[in-house]
Amino acid sequence: MSERSEGAATGDDPQENQRAYRAAVVAFAAAIVGGVVAAIAYSTDDTDVWLGVGLAVALGGIGFGLVSWAKYLDFDEHVVQQREPLTMTETERDALHEELTTLPANSTTTFRRRRLLTRLLGGSLFSLVVGFVGPLGSLGPKPRGERNRTGWSNGVRLVTSEGQPIERATGGFDQLVTVFPEGQIGRDDSQVVLLRVSPELLTERTVEAGSIDGWVAYSKICTHAGCSVGLFGIDTRPPDVLRQLVCPCHQSVFDPVDGARPVTGPATRSLPQLPLRVDADGYLAAADDFDRPVGPPTWDEG
Amino acid sequence: MSAPQSRSARGLLERYVDSVAGRLGAGSGLRSALRKVFPNHFSFLWGEVALYSFVVLIATGIYLTLFFEGTQSEVTYSGSYEPLRGEEMSAAFASVMRISFDVKGGLLIRQMHHWAALIFVGAIAVHMARVFFTGAFRKPREMNWVVGVLLLVLALAAGLTGYSLPDDLLSGTGLRIIHAVILALPFVGERLTYLLFGGEWPGTDIIGRLYPVHILLIPALIVALLGVHLGLVWRQKHTQFRGAGRTETNVVGESVWPSFAMKSVGLQFMVAAVITAMGALFDVNAVWLYGPYDTGAATSFSQPDWYIGFLEGSLRLFPPWETRIGGFVIGQVVYSGVVIPSLIFGILFAAPWIDRRLTGDHDEHHLLDRPRDAAGRSATGVAALTVVTVLFLGGSQDVIAGTLGMSLGLVTRLLQILLLVAPPIAWYVTARMCRVLAERPGPERTERSEPIYRDSGGGYHSGPLVEKEPPQDHEQVPAEATGRST
Repeated sequence: MSERSEGAATGDDPQENQRAYRAAVVAFAAAIVGGVVAAIAYSTDDTDVWLGVGLAVALGGIGFGLVSWAKYLDFDEHVVQQREPLTMTETERDALHEELTTLPANSTTTFRRRRLLTRLLGGSLFSLVVGFVGPLGSLGPKPRGERNRTGWSNGVRLVTSEGQPIERATGGFDQLVTVFPEGQIGRDDSQVVLLRVSPELLTERTVEAGSIDGWVAYSKICTHAGCSVGLFGIDTRPPDVLRQLVCPCHQSVFDPVDGARPVTGPATRSLPQLPLRVDADGYLAAADDFDRPVGPPTWDEG
Repeated sequence: MSAPQSRSARGLLERYVDSVAGRLGAGSGLRSALRKVFPNHFSFLWGEVALYSFVVLIATGIYLTLFFEGTQSEVTYSGSYEPLRGEEMSAAFASVMRISFDVKGGLLIRQMHHWAALIFVGAIAVHMARVFFTGAFRKPREMNWVVGVLLLVLALAAGLTGYSLPDDLLSGTGLRIIHAVILALPFVGERLTYLLFGGEWPGTDIIGRLYPVHILLIPALIVALLGVHLGLVWRQKHTQFRGAGRTETNVVGESVWPSFAMKSVGLQFMVAAVITAMGALFDVNAVWLYGPYDTGAATSFSQPDWYIGFLEGSLRLFPPWETRIGGFVIGQVVYSGVVIPSLIFGILFAAPWIDRRLTGDHDEHHLLDRPRDAAGRSATGVAALTVVTVLFLGGSQDVIAGTLGMSLGLVTRLLQILLLVAPPIAWYVTARMCRVLAERPGPERTERSEPIYRDSGGGYHSGPLVEKEPPQDHEQVPAEATGRST
């Protein structure tokens, strides 16, 4: 079936054989040293570099040694082996089909007749799957419109992640701060970017949607894929000074002075704006919840 | 009792093999298995590299499970990494911190695991390219191509779930994006996210659920499919390049024992050595610098692992399109995160049948094409690689813009144009190159009438191949073995 031939008869060159032999000796010896280095490194707490280097030398030494050993034993052989044919001959195929479809001699029917049984089997397997869907449903509750509610409502104060409320009068222009509803710091769907810009820059609809003295607040969850829109930049290159809210994940850019509408990048929708008011103590608070779901849209939120 | 002489004449190896094979009736089968022939070519090594990095992944992964805690319960960090001490974080992140700073040698194993994963996917990709460009996926190996693509998908899933487990800032961001893509799926999106995450984002279940998927479900599937993959190679025998004495009906190479086995085991150790050295010398996924996942936090230049780059690029480069059909929305992430990846993997799965349709070639092939022999296929492959490469670049367009000092919008626009223009150019250039190369008086230069041997010292020289049939000339190779250009 197969025949061996010593490849090119390189074995006649004792010098090269000797070289491979010496390489294997050196490699295995190095491997031993590597293992010892690793053990010493571990026991002397030098696990940052030397443990790994020692192990790498041990592994590499064994690998190189094995290959050198193979070369020393002169394994550069060329063997020719025939492939058995993979395709079936006509006779084989007929015999196989016969085996598949023939019933014992005393049987009075054939495989194909019983359509009803086949269909019932299919139906029962399907209903089995349906029966198992139930337990899978326990993995999570049914959505009950949570997407339409966040932690914001009329009168809820804006606080920083340290819990500081924001005074109407404080803060210079063009500073970005991340705020949460008071008492719900870290609530994911309620994260908001708060920004103060010179009031005359804001477009009319932005002001109408609930800005106060140049304070504007938008949902921080990107309407593209849900990352936190964490970057604020001012592009001072002529002709216009541009303020931009940027999502670091996929580089969606929103315009904070114009209702956070998407300017460039993959986002298709503006960030929902949080309407603001000032409470009795002079701190910024929400005037209402967002007027639409925050974050990336679902398929039925046209 | 048999004579003690014959007993002592057998060495340790023989005695061991006897004791096993003699109880299984495996004597003759084992003998022919040891004599099985594998053809030799450097490009056949990539699959082995993937296999062997998977072995390293399993070994290091088991070690990590002994320390990792797959839950999101809140803990206050009190380990030895000063900057994060006192911070609130999930038990998962805290346990990764412990592995990295307080388990002696833990960081090395963790970094080896991560590097091995990067090499695993990379080796699969290169292996796949080799199989594609040499036409090794053709009949009768279509089935194994499909198994291979499934293995690629599983490797990506393993990478993605593993990347998510530490619950650091970047992994949380990655999960958030996956969440958004699922949410946008028509009809089932929102319900499905509730099932996966145990309720509204982010919930407290997802890490605990990804953990068994990452360490049990996916590895078990990979092991099973690897068995099928290697079993098919064994059964159908490996393909080989054309050359003297090589035909569609034979295999020329080295036998499993001892040449192939010894070198292959050597390769396993070498792959492990490289991964260990990388784990020791190069930081990877330094989660302590990102910190734990934190609502509202975000970092610039956030990048996924390299093999997710093309998906990230698709999300970034696809234009802001939203299609409304009767009150229903197909959002940008459906196009960029579902349609495009489905197209990419769908085409990958279908490659053998597409090739068959375009070439009309239904024959069995055991001799490989050189890429130049099939200009159409090679050009299509390079065009596809160009698409994936541009998408990959798109996945870090902000880094490119920052490095080149160009505006982000300009870089994005350029990459979008490149995505449309570059593949056809790549197709044309490759096809042209293949034809030029194929027209050169090739056979004498590239297919020798006498094989070149590499001897044990590393030198090369030619000589006659010792076998019963005389070496065949190129012209005598059967018709189905000769190159065909499409």
